[in-house]
Amino acid sequence: MRKLIEFVRSIYVVVLFVVLEAAAIGYYAHSSSYTQARLLARSNQVAGGVHGFFAGIRRYLFLGRENRQFAEHVARLEEKLAQYQEAETEARLDAYLRDIGESKYRFATAAVVGNTLNRMQNLLTLNRGREDGIEEEMGVLAPDGSLVGYVVACTDRYAVAMSVLNTSFRTSGKIAQSEYSGSIYWDGADPGVVMLGELSKYADPQPGQEVVTAGLSEYFPADILIGWVESAQLNETKTSYTVRVRLAAEMSRLNEVILVADRDRYEIQDLQQSEQVELHSRVN
Amino acid sequence: MYRTIPYIGLFAAVVLLQVFLFDNLSISVYLNPLVYVVFIALLPLDAQPVTVLGSGLLLGITMDCAMGAAGINTIATLPIAFFRPSLAGMICGRENVREGGIPAPDRLGTRKFFLFLLTLTIIHHAIFFLLEALSWRLMPHTILRIVISSAISVAFGWIIARIFTAKISARV
Repeated sequence: MRKLIEFVRSIYVVVLFVVLEAAAIGYYAHSSSYTQARLLARSNQVAGGVHGFFAGIRRYLFLGRENRQFAEHVARLEEKLAQYQEAETEARLDAYLRDIGESKYRFATAAVVGNTLNRMQNLLTLNRGREDGIEEEMGVLAPDGSLVGYVVACTDRYAVAMSVLNTSFRTSGKIAQSEYSGSIYWDGADPGVVMLGELSKYADPQPGQEVVTAGLSEYFPADILIGWVESAQLNETKTSYTVRVRLAAEMSRLNEVILVADRDRYEIQDLQQSEQVELHSRVN
Repeated sequence: MYRTIPYIGLFAAVVLLQVFLFDNLSISVYLNPLVYVVFIALLPLDAQPVTVLGSGLLLGITMDCAMGAAGINTIATLPIAFFRPSLAGMICGRENVREGGIPAPDRLGTRKFFLFLLTLTIIHHAIFFLLEALSWRLMPHTILRIVISSAISVAFGWIIARIFTAKISARV
């Protein structure tokens, strides 16, 4: 018995190490970007105030540049509005607006209080949460309207978004003015470049062409700027292109963001998950 | 355990520095220093293996919660805590380990302490970045991340070690 106790005493640290390491690996293996975002959202309830203080200083330093970007964005929108006003008489436009009612998309703004670029799973922490009308699956855009990520977890006062620079990020993208779409993802190598994969060989992407969202994802409206084509390569079977896209959003200088939610999202999701649709999926 | 208060202070300092300074550097994808490793390196040489392992577990879980990482810090920190007594014996010398005290550069010598800190940091960073990437395709890129981040972590770890041991005697 004494020998057994001595044996256990001699190896209990090894056993403890193996058990703890196995438990940690098990937890990590079953985690996802959503688990990580939820953890970060919870820790921000404690550390968010300090992050917010430092983000406030950083924001103050970049205030001029932010204002310039917002002004340019407003100018572009004003120009578009002027075009519509020219094309339509005011009365007709009013009639359209009455028919449309609320806009399909709801917008909000938030300040970035945490942003990493040096990991494989980069996340953004925003200083707005459920109390401010922020919800999971809202799209996140830069002040100039370019794609940044989407919200994956919320607390009452903070939200955590999956950055486009996260190897788990996926959305649909296409070359502007074309119908060919592919999948946008980050390969984890260059924080200034994302990939547009599985793009049809007929798309013929050229350097400098704009890449925008295809509108097939439920997170983003169509035609949101993602970046510009840097280079393109046909895959081995020569059936599709993998395109390197230089990001339009300056991810390292992100202080303010615009959040966008599709008001019809829940209705569409409910419809997709409805019993009738499921029944037809099973039959087919 | 002796010097509990200074070690609690060191634990808090490395966690706060990591969360509020080093995690926000975001200069390059290759530069992700994880300086909290220095806490494990600076634990007393004669600390019980189970104490070192427990400290590693606590540090790993704290960093996982703070960084929103689901276990990767714990997975990387536990092996260095487990192998630390053996590594200390091999690198710092059995005599020094038996004698106990803080593994400071002044006490062990610059070369031995540097090698000790570097070994722990490289093991930790290699596990962390390989697990984070989980891709053979990105192997050259991951190796570069391990090398650059380890170099920066060791440099800052060295500064933290000098500050920590400046006021308290490295000997028991």
